[in-house]
Amino acid sequence: MKREGSPLKGVGTIAIKEAADHMTSARMHLIMLLVLLTAAGSVWAAIGQIRVTTAEDPFLFLKLLTTARDPLPSFASFLGFLLPLVAIALGFDGINGEFGKRTMSRILAQPIYRDAVLFGKFFGGMLVLAIALLTLWLLMVGLGILMLGLPPSGADVGRGLAYLAVTLVYTGVWLALALAFSTVIKTPATSALAALSVWLVFSIFWSMITPFAASVISPLDPTNPMTVLSQFETQQALARISPSVLYGEISQMLLDPASRSVGPVFMSQMQGALVGAPLPTLQSILIIWPQISGLFAAMVLLFTGAYVVFQRQEVRA
Amino acid sequence: MTQRTKLIWGAALACALLAGPAAYAQTTTTSSMSASAETMQAHGYWLTTPSPDLTVPAGKDVTIPLTINNETGTTHLAALTLTGVPDDWTYSLKANGFEVQSAMTAPGEKVDLKLDFTAPTSAAGKSFPLQLTAKYDGGQINLPINVTVANISDTGATLEPELPGLRGTATSKFSFKLKLTNNGYEDAMFNLGADVPDGFNVTFKKGYGSEEITGLPVKAGTSENITMEVTPAHNAEAGDYPVHVATLAGDVTASADLVMEITGTPSLSLSGPQGRLSGSAVAGEAKTFPFTLENSGGAPAANVKLTATAPTGWKVDFQPSSMASLPVGASQDVVVSITPSEKGIAGDYMVSLRASADGDSTTASFRTTVETSTMWGIVGLGVIAVAVIVLVLAVLRYGRR
Repeated sequence: MKREGSPLKGVGTIAIKEAADHMTSARMHLIMLLVLLTAAGSVWAAIGQIRVTTAEDPFLFLKLLTTARDPLPSFASFLGFLLPLVAIALGFDGINGEFGKRTMSRILAQPIYRDAVLFGKFFGGMLVLAIALLTLWLLMVGLGILMLGLPPSGADVGRGLAYLAVTLVYTGVWLALALAFSTVIKTPATSALAALSVWLVFSIFWSMITPFAASVISPLDPTNPMTVLSQFETQQALARISPSVLYGEISQMLLDPASRSVGPVFMSQMQGALVGAPLPTLQSILIIWPQISGLFAAMVLLFTGAYVVFQRQEVRA
Repeated sequence: MTQRTKLIWGAALACALLAGPAAYAQTTTTSSMSASAETMQAHGYWLTTPSPDLTVPAGKDVTIPLTINNETGTTHLAALTLTGVPDDWTYSLKANGFEVQSAMTAPGEKVDLKLDFTAPTSAAGKSFPLQLTAKYDGGQINLPINVTVANISDTGATLEPELPGLRGTATSKFSFKLKLTNNGYEDAMFNLGADVPDGFNVTFKKGYGSEEITGLPVKAGTSENITMEVTPAHNAEAGDYPVHVATLAGDVTASADLVMEITGTPSLSLSGPQGRLSGSAVAGEAKTFPFTLENSGGAPAANVKLTATAPTGWKVDFQPSSMASLPVGASQDVVVSITPSEKGIAGDYMVSLRASADGDSTTASFRTTVETSTMWGIVGLGVIAVAVIVLVLAVLRYGRR
């Protein structure tokens, strides 16, 4: 049965309502408190380290994000580890929670299409994440200005904003994954566990699995040194299935202007190169663009999967 | 009165006890308290000079000091005349800066006089017995002064180059050794100067010293070594350049003429687009940069060749890559085409470009920023577009349920 009008009518309403719900929920408060504390701690530690060791750097503010001091990891690696948790917390019961509370039929009784529910859930979550990340980013920059007494340079801001945008996309991947699980799995606890196990596998175990898998797929031949390279490339290709690895490569390229490549580099390629010379911001983005588009496409495809499954589900009162 | 005499005698006795000679001096000095303590006091009226027989240079002002002593009891007025002076000499007797004809001497006093005269150059080599006569009421006193005019051609000073002509390139430093001799009778401070072509730079040094000097004191009758260094203008063309070096001390001058022979050399310079030595190129794609090769030297550059040192896998071409000759002051546009390696990683690389000719070469380091090909950016956009199309298709297929 065909109906008139846009299928996306009412997305804005649902998105804003969803965002408002998230903003006031204790779950969101707790997880953001965790993120804020760790982020502030790592930036604080980084500032202490920078004050001691760095005399002059054209990209001082990017160092705030990447400098680590034992025992704390850097701000960037903290975000890469914790943001999926935030996204999962926002999305793991997005759909099955509505079914569980028997509110889905009430929502759909409103003059909106079913499309708008899932789109609204996703955009609402993204809105909350965007606000949280922007706040975090501004907080970090403000802390940097306060503690270092220096304004960020134009390139700092440009790279920082690009990093912010990519971080949002990366978090969107996990939000789409959590929403997809909440659509497929009927119980919120199970969908939460499923999303968390995927997160654990990709964040922690993936780096242990890939060398093993690579040695099986392309074994080393002692007589042929090129097999070392091919095994490394296989391992890298496998590792890049994980969004965490992609995000790690992106943040390395964006936050370290002197880095030139994320793949293997031959000596011949480095001949005559001026090591340490920073790349233009656009060049860094261009180098890492495949990873960025991969993350974006993964986000869109995961959402599409959730959408297709949701549209085909039966909704009963 | 008797009391005062006693006092003096008491003082004299005390002095005698303390020091015998002082007491003796005091007792013999009768007329003046300012008189010297000599035991034998000359007596009379006389005229003296410390240099009664002297040799003087021709054409120079000469001053002879004279003294009239009066150790008599009366004041004497003496009229002074100088005889034996040839007509063409000029002379004057001076006391306290004024020309005088007579001198009055009080008892126990003396008058200092000066005889200034100039012997003309025509008098060189001859002797002249002069006589100064002082007539006074009690008689006259004569003072013979024998003046010999020196038989030297007194030019004052000479400046002799060790090597009057030097040869070198426009970039070399010409070092002339000069010997400055002061033939005069007085120490003199010589100022140094040289006439050189425009753009040439001259410095003077004393002997082998390192300090640059503008002048040099030379004692009478001695000589000093001077090193004059001339740096030619960089664009000086080949040829002979005269250098006139002169010294001046008062009215004494000495000069020498030197010659610098500059053999020209080509001097190449390679400058990048708009003077910059940096540019960007995309990996695997040729990019051309307009360079300018200039010969700013003093001789034409022959057999000009252009070569480059670049990272492996890079291609650097020159258009033109060689020239038979590049004239002086001429410039040639060279189109440099740089192709970074296909596998070049984005970043900055140094490419060294070299232009060489017979006698000179120049190297320009060109900083090439390799940019990543935008092909992968388009592929990435394609991936995103495919994902969005899948979403749109899903919405179209399953939408509005």
